[in-house]
Amino acid sequence: MDIKKNWWKVLSVILMLYVLIAGILIPISPGLLDFDNSNAITGQKYNVKVKAYNTHFDQAKNLNAYLLLPSDQMLPADHIDLINAVELSASFSIPQDIIPDSVDRLDCSIVIDNEIDGYVQYPDAVTIKDTGSVSQLLEYKALVPISSLQGVDDFNFPFRPIVYETVRNTFFHVAIWMAMFLILLVSCYHSIRYLMSTDLLHDQKSSALTSVALVFGIAGLITGSMWARFTWGTWWTNDVKLNMTSIALLIYCSYWILRSSLTDIDTRARLSSVFNLFSFIALMILVMVIPRMTDSLHPGNGGNPAFGDEDLDNTLRTIFYPAIIAYTLLGLWIAQLSVRYYRAKDNIELMIYNNSK
Amino acid sequence: MLHRIFHIARRDLTLEFRERYSFLSAILYLIAITFIVYKVFGRIEPPTRIGLFWILILFTCINVVSYSFSFHGQKRKYYHYILYRSYELIIAKWLINLVKMLIAGFLLVLLQSIFADEPMKDIALFSKVYLLSIFGMTAAMTLISSISSYSQNQNTLIAIMSIPLLIPILLVGMRLSLISERIIVDTEIDNYLMMLVGIDIVYIAILIIFIPLTWKA
Repeated sequence: MDIKKNWWKVLSVILMLYVLIAGILIPISPGLLDFDNSNAITGQKYNVKVKAYNTHFDQAKNLNAYLLLPSDQMLPADHIDLINAVELSASFSIPQDIIPDSVDRLDCSIVIDNEIDGYVQYPDAVTIKDTGSVSQLLEYKALVPISSLQGVDDFNFPFRPIVYETVRNTFFHVAIWMAMFLILLVSCYHSIRYLMSTDLLHDQKSSALTSVALVFGIAGLITGSMWARFTWGTWWTNDVKLNMTSIALLIYCSYWILRSSLTDIDTRARLSSVFNLFSFIALMILVMVIPRMTDSLHPGNGGNPAFGDEDLDNTLRTIFYPAIIAYTLLGLWIAQLSVRYYRAKDNIELMIYNNSK
Repeated sequence: MLHRIFHIARRDLTLEFRERYSFLSAILYLIAITFIVYKVFGRIEPPTRIGLFWILILFTCINVVSYSFSFHGQKRKYYHYILYRSYELIIAKWLINLVKMLIAGFLLVLLQSIFADEPMKDIALFSKVYLLSIFGMTAAMTLISSISSYSQNQNTLIAIMSIPLLIPILLVGMRLSLISERIIVDTEIDNYLMMLVGIDIVYIAILIIFIPLTWKA
């Protein structure tokens, strides 16, 4: 094989392997899953049992638990009882003067810090109230500044509540949709080229690309359905984006019905090119415009942010963008093979026809 | 150009009037279904009434517009191709379909008001929505029927290809008409109307741009 000419095929395979290996093997950052007590009272002891994910509490030498106050000061725990690598219980003594006069309660985050995992936190977990009663005499620890946390610099995917490990589906679900759009764009380019030149090769290319995009669309729908099962709890919801994409896929199915119902090659090529452009514009309206105007569970719709730092941090980006390129190149490769197959078939039929004469 | 378009439209209207059974059969279908539904269910709640209205309009639109190319023989196509510019012809056809759908919609609103024994609550908003919806619907349907007139099984193809394309218009139209019936409250009426206008502009532009390409046979 000529590597210089087919460099993009090699690139697609390398990127695909990179996405599969790195996307599956890189661990998720540690995080806090759950805790059992969210009410603390000033002047009393506060005990909490914390469940974490992906942490190494048992191997850590320097393990600390804190309550992070809104003033960016932290209250250290009195003592910590280690249960296992991901569970511990901590007890705090809440000072009586911890609540400023201006407010009547404080919302604090639980922060657990060690030198292996860095710090993990559960935001706004605990509410501190002042009931005015002092049950026992306690020794209060002094507050420490937030800068005393041990930051660890390692390459992990972000820990997101609800999503957890399925954040890896970004490289499959989202990237496949993006690749589908790019492939449909190339298909539209070939449709326009056909309408300008009436060269049947462009029509074959455009129809092959559309069929690859349809397969990608179905794959995107299936991976999205799996993701919805884990995060939203059902295989299919009445979300506007789901409905609109299934309608868009129906439009592309009707493209195939149109192609198969026309027998004359030139008429078929011309009409299906027009319908391809038409359905791409309809797809844009359905998937890009309408979901943004109504409420949707998807990021980027109904006021949710998408592709901001909240959704996609830099570790995800290093896999996500190569994934889009890999799927697009793979799709172009499949389409090229399909075009070659149909051209070869046409040539053979022509040969048989000529021999029989 | 406008003169020529109106000339074609007037001639086509005359032809339609001679072959009026197609439009009248669509209207009869509309009346019969409404009558049957109201007799079977007795009283219909406003949300069901809105849903029924849009479903009937969808199928009437498919019936009415699919006729616009069906009795065009190959010879008449060549004749038109020599005589007129394609976009003039298609705008005339679109205008005729628009008029037909206006009549059908007016009739359906009237029928539903009589059977349900209560008028529409916000007739101004509803007629605005209906007008904007059929602009886009007839434009998309005219293009689809022109494309599928080259195929053998024309009517099936029209239904299959057009329903997905009409769904966005139907969804927005249904939501707006629910607002006009005071069933849901929404402050973003203008936003939805602008969305309908946007879809209309896109579909009409597509119709005018692509028709010369499908016409070249």
